[in-house]
Amino acid sequence: MEYRDEIYIDVKPEEFRSKCLELHKKLSSPVMMYFAVDEGPGKKAFSVYCAFLDWAGKRWVLVRMQLPEGQARFESISKDVFSAALFEREMKEMFGLEPEGNPDLRRLHLHEEVWLEGFYPLRKDFIPPERAQKAEGSYRFKKVEGEGIFEVPVGPVHAGIIGPGHFRFSAAGEPVINLEARLGFTHRGVEKLFEKMPSAGSDDAVSFSERVSGDSVFAYSTAYCQAIEKIYGILIPERAQYIRAIYLELERIYNHANDIGGMAVDVGFTFPNAFASIIKEKTLALNEKISGSRYLKGVNTVGGVNRDLGGSERKVLLDFLDGISKDFRELKRMLLSSISFMDRADKTGILKKKTAVDLGIVGLAARASGIPMDLRKTFPGVYSAANFKLVREEEGDVLARLNVRLREIEESVRLIREFARIMAPADISAAKKSAPEAGCGIGYAEGWRGPVLFWIKTDASGRIERCKIVDPSFHNWQGLCFAVLGNIIPDFPLCNKSFDLSYPGNDL
Amino acid sequence: MKTALILIQILLLIAVSPLVSGIIRKIKNNIRMRKGASVFQPYYNLAKLFGKEEVVSDTTSWIFKAAPFVVLASSVCALSLVPVFASTLSFSNMGDFLAIIFILALGRFFVALAGLDAGSAFGGMGSSREMFISTFVEPVALLSVFAVSLNAGSTNLAAVSAPAGLKLSSIIASLSLFVVTIAETSRIPVDNQETHLELTMIHEAMVLEYSGKSLALIELASHIKQVLFFSLIAAVVIPWGDFALKMAAVIAAVSLLEVSIAKMRLFRAVDLLSFALVISIMAVIVSAAGY
Repeated sequence: MEYRDEIYIDVKPEEFRSKCLELHKKLSSPVMMYFAVDEGPGKKAFSVYCAFLDWAGKRWVLVRMQLPEGQARFESISKDVFSAALFEREMKEMFGLEPEGNPDLRRLHLHEEVWLEGFYPLRKDFIPPERAQKAEGSYRFKKVEGEGIFEVPVGPVHAGIIGPGHFRFSAAGEPVINLEARLGFTHRGVEKLFEKMPSAGSDDAVSFSERVSGDSVFAYSTAYCQAIEKIYGILIPERAQYIRAIYLELERIYNHANDIGGMAVDVGFTFPNAFASIIKEKTLALNEKISGSRYLKGVNTVGGVNRDLGGSERKVLLDFLDGISKDFRELKRMLLSSISFMDRADKTGILKKKTAVDLGIVGLAARASGIPMDLRKTFPGVYSAANFKLVREEEGDVLARLNVRLREIEESVRLIREFARIMAPADISAAKKSAPEAGCGIGYAEGWRGPVLFWIKTDASGRIERCKIVDPSFHNWQGLCFAVLGNIIPDFPLCNKSFDLSYPGNDL
Repeated sequence: MKTALILIQILLLIAVSPLVSGIIRKIKNNIRMRKGASVFQPYYNLAKLFGKEEVVSDTTSWIFKAAPFVVLASSVCALSLVPVFASTLSFSNMGDFLAIIFILALGRFFVALAGLDAGSAFGGMGSSREMFISTFVEPVALLSVFAVSLNAGSTNLAAVSAPAGLKLSSIIASLSLFVVTIAETSRIPVDNQETHLELTMIHEAMVLEYSGKSLALIELASHIKQVLFFSLIAAVVIPWGDFALKMAAVIAAVSLLEVSIAKMRLFRAVDLLSFALVISIMAVIVSAAGY
């Protein structure tokens, strides 16, 4: 194996909690992934993994414990590490593993109203309940009491073209006292569906990974391919790494443009939105021209990429960059010079650094709150050749998240130019492996929203035994709920857009 | 004969009122580099809504059903008091400037009640915001009106809109009345007609529960109210120059303003209205001084 960016620490179940706390402190990393694996079928045994990011050592550290056969409970760590809380709720509903000591064990994705108690879909011996059986549970929202407090329920059906999510505001007049997001409405069982893939290394599987979250197609397929490549021991050619990096940055550009326009329209500032839509459309058109797909589907394959960036495409790309950076300067000027817009964005929806660290916020939102976290920095790969500069803002408000986007676009444009200049003609895909291998590995990519993580375990026949996906939204929805506190209700859409989190990525 | 002419004027204004909204939307879309829907789209919308079945929440009372009629009646009634094409062409002997403001307040009151009636959280928020904004809008409207009334020595609309020279106080009053118009027609920076975000709405939040014919009546009332305020500025406050030109200027100003700035934070809208209040007081002073 040539990949040395992940290590596993095997511990006994009784040491698991203390080891996790120790690593959490020592590495000052939030819980990045925390999941269970069914070692069955027929064996009623589970193992639990908890992944931390070792920034200094540039590697992933996974603590692993094997629960004794027949034991379906373990000691919770979420009282000490808040970023573990949601993962434990997930393990409880998906595997029926009881995290002892976690005060909040409400369902996350499998809602009480529709999903029967006692059915754990990610277990190997899972048989779906009969349709006729009716679930009768109910969900308890956090209740705020006091004079003049009222609740505003919003969603899951919204007036715009947005994903489904339920938001429960507790407000005193206009200021928000508490916000609870209830998600999971787009739960499709993605992780289970991966287990049904006939071959982990096939293009079908890659294609499926592209469809997990529609706005991060390339980040997902890159992370997926990388996980499989690590397990199979495939080293992808350098040119393919460059091409992947270029597309990753193009995905960032069109999504950032979309968000910047979205933030403008959410405060009723429609002209910049129209302008941003044009930029987004230009980028999508370019994607189609050079990759054959507006949303960069079908580019990645296990071992490299399917399509080279040849001379003519390279020229189209460079011309595009010249035009787009001019457009972005114009868009930036439009927004930052507008007093009415700045008045709305400045000091709205502040997510303090301390809160962000405690919640385990990742990606763009973390960088806007002053946390220098970017996988492109920790695991640079080809980015080191282009001298990648991490973008960070300190304020943590809507304006900071806007500025991170604006500055990241500039950086992305610069990076793509550098990549196009540096990369030498070579193969774009490694030779296909004949025999699949059993093993496990983490695949990761810094998507536009933050790190997209895949942990995959394959068996010798080439099937996926377990696939755990963590989208940055999974951590960051919590950040949004804290950022709006104290803001007035009509500012929520703006705060929400400044995070722009994914429903399908969270719900899986 | 005169009554017939007045009735024709009212019917004509009601008939063109959706067109004014359509034109504003078209201008805005063209500025935003979009094609935009036809200027007749508001008519199609009304026709569609009139043909639709209505869904009424079973928690509502008679207020919910009555409100659209009250709102429409109050808009039409107020419109009949405004002399538009000639200073004598209105029922202005039946009510003056103050009557218009109060008749419209009646309509607003009923929409706000209807917003609360269905018991949905959005309606409640909308009503509370509308009332909050209107506490600032109404004084500004009254003061602007007083300024021009002082010029004419009467609050009677026929007297105020009688052709006269251009006065400084009228221009100042038209500015404050313009801000009132923005707020009353739920436009940016006070409200936003185009948004789909329930949480940010003011006027739209109150009427979210409405559908079908009732919604059509409320929308028609909004179009009429808009024409009413535009004509107040164009025909009454500035009784000088060509009506069509002044109307076009107001429409252009509204469209341009809406695309060039962001909506204000809810509580910040008060600052704008306080500013308008100061302008309207200034108009009164200037008018009292004889300019």
